[in-house]
Amino acid sequence: MINMGSTTLEITINIIKTVLVFLMMVQLVPILVWVERRGSAFIQNRFGPNRVGPLGLVQLLADAVKFLTKEDFVPDKGNRFLFYAAPVFALIPAAIAYMAIPMSTPLIVGDAKFLIQGFEINVGIVFILGISSLAAYTILMAGWGSGSKFSLMGAMRASAQIISYELALGLSIVGVIMTYGTFNLSEMIAAQQGPLTFTALGSTTVLSFLPNWGIFYQPLGALIFFAATFAESNRLPFDLAEGEAELVAGFHTEYGGFKMLMFFIGEYGHMMIASGLMATFFFGGYGIPYISVQEMYLKLFELTGDAGFANILNTVAHFLSYNVKFILFLWFFIHVRWTLPRFRYDQLMDLGWKTMLPWALVNTILTAVAIFVAAQFVL
Amino acid sequence: MTDAFLFWFLALITIVSGLSVVLMSNPIYSALSLAMTMIGVSALFVTLNAYFLAGVQLIVYAGAVMVLFVMVLMLFDLKHELQAFTRGRITGALKIGSVGILAGLLVGAITLGTQIIKKQEAITEATNQAASLDSTRALAENLFLKNVFGFEALGVVLLVIAIGTVALSRSKGGTHARD
Repeated sequence: MINMGSTTLEITINIIKTVLVFLMMVQLVPILVWVERRGSAFIQNRFGPNRVGPLGLVQLLADAVKFLTKEDFVPDKGNRFLFYAAPVFALIPAAIAYMAIPMSTPLIVGDAKFLIQGFEINVGIVFILGISSLAAYTILMAGWGSGSKFSLMGAMRASAQIISYELALGLSIVGVIMTYGTFNLSEMIAAQQGPLTFTALGSTTVLSFLPNWGIFYQPLGALIFFAATFAESNRLPFDLAEGEAELVAGFHTEYGGFKMLMFFIGEYGHMMIASGLMATFFFGGYGIPYISVQEMYLKLFELTGDAGFANILNTVAHFLSYNVKFILFLWFFIHVRWTLPRFRYDQLMDLGWKTMLPWALVNTILTAVAIFVAAQFVL
Repeated sequence: MTDAFLFWFLALITIVSGLSVVLMSNPIYSALSLAMTMIGVSALFVTLNAYFLAGVQLIVYAGAVMVLFVMVLMLFDLKHELQAFTRGRITGALKIGSVGILAGLLVGAITLGTQIIKKQEAITEATNQAASLDSTRALAENLFLKNVFGFEALGVVLLVIAIGTVALSRSKGGTHARD
């Protein structure tokens, strides 16, 4: 049966983990908003918010208070139920999907083994894709429930875009799955340990100056995957759903106060999933470059001389390694948003269907042929 | 205990949302309930250790097919749809009749199924453990090795349907016809 826990202890720990991961996600959002505003100011040679507190950090608290005290408002012609349900549903898929990403090596305390991950699931990728594809409903519910033309148009654009880019996204991952031969995210990270090693045509080449990361096996897949995740999370240059010049603010035109903030958290949640998956698929996950999990543990064991303590330190070190990669990708998302202009809608659809989908297919076929040739023939 | 709780909880959600697909008078709510039914079914797949099927159910049905349905429904003027919901005597009798036939089918399937399950219980107990370990591989072997001809034939049929739809919608000028 599912690893829901058979004893009270396991159930308690799982519930605590669920709450912790959710809080982690929600707490990261104000910091990201601050980085986004200060970072955009830095890119555009402005100051950004710098009045409230040191470096403007308390601006977030002021914003939160402002969001909470705004009027709770439902448009006259809107659908009350859907209007209130949409922001709540915006949070759920992002939070559940993020829980399946492993963030560090398992923590072993005595006999108990704690996974630093919301839950281990055997087909991690399929699960995450499935859950995060439900985000389209949120946008449709918000757009239709608002009872406004701008909202509906924005929702149509957004959901059409999400469905179109989901194809390229899914296909770009097929190459990764074939390379590692597994759906399991932890096994993928385990396969990316050590120096870059190619085993092909009966001989093995080791490039010791590079880590064994997925991006060296799947560069095209990585490119398509990263571009498609921008479209999936409705970020610039793919944020046509919110094109201010045409649609006011798209599907959340009628939303204000805390409901609007929940959409915001959902959007940042999708960014976090994308960054986490990018790190896991192509940049070794929680692995530290040039040193495998086992070597790190042995080094720490030499330093401390205590197996339990070394294990805890090992988990912390890998957790930090994961977070460095994770935050670098989040910064990349923010940097792209303030660097590239928005696409036109026909350009967006052309890019999705006529460029990224065929190239993702080519990548899949090339990977299959390469794996077959490498395994079948011996020079 | 948790397994039983999960099953009854998910079954309740699936059946309630399945019923509301039929009983809701607003088509949007019906479509959203159908999506909820899909999600419930995929959660039931998870409790049966069929993780891959659960994920595919979510991606294909809940994430793509139903989104398109909801999208198209939202573009309609739904007031007409509300009026078209009939409450006539003959149609009512037809509805009750078809519900009776479906209920009979379900009862028959369940009684037949339990008999077969009782016969095969000893066999499944042994194979279940092995299959649950790598159900994705088992599914792939079934699809791409044992039943590869049927699988590919279905793909061709779907392709024919897609091409036929495009051809039909484009014949006589299609949606851009000016007559």
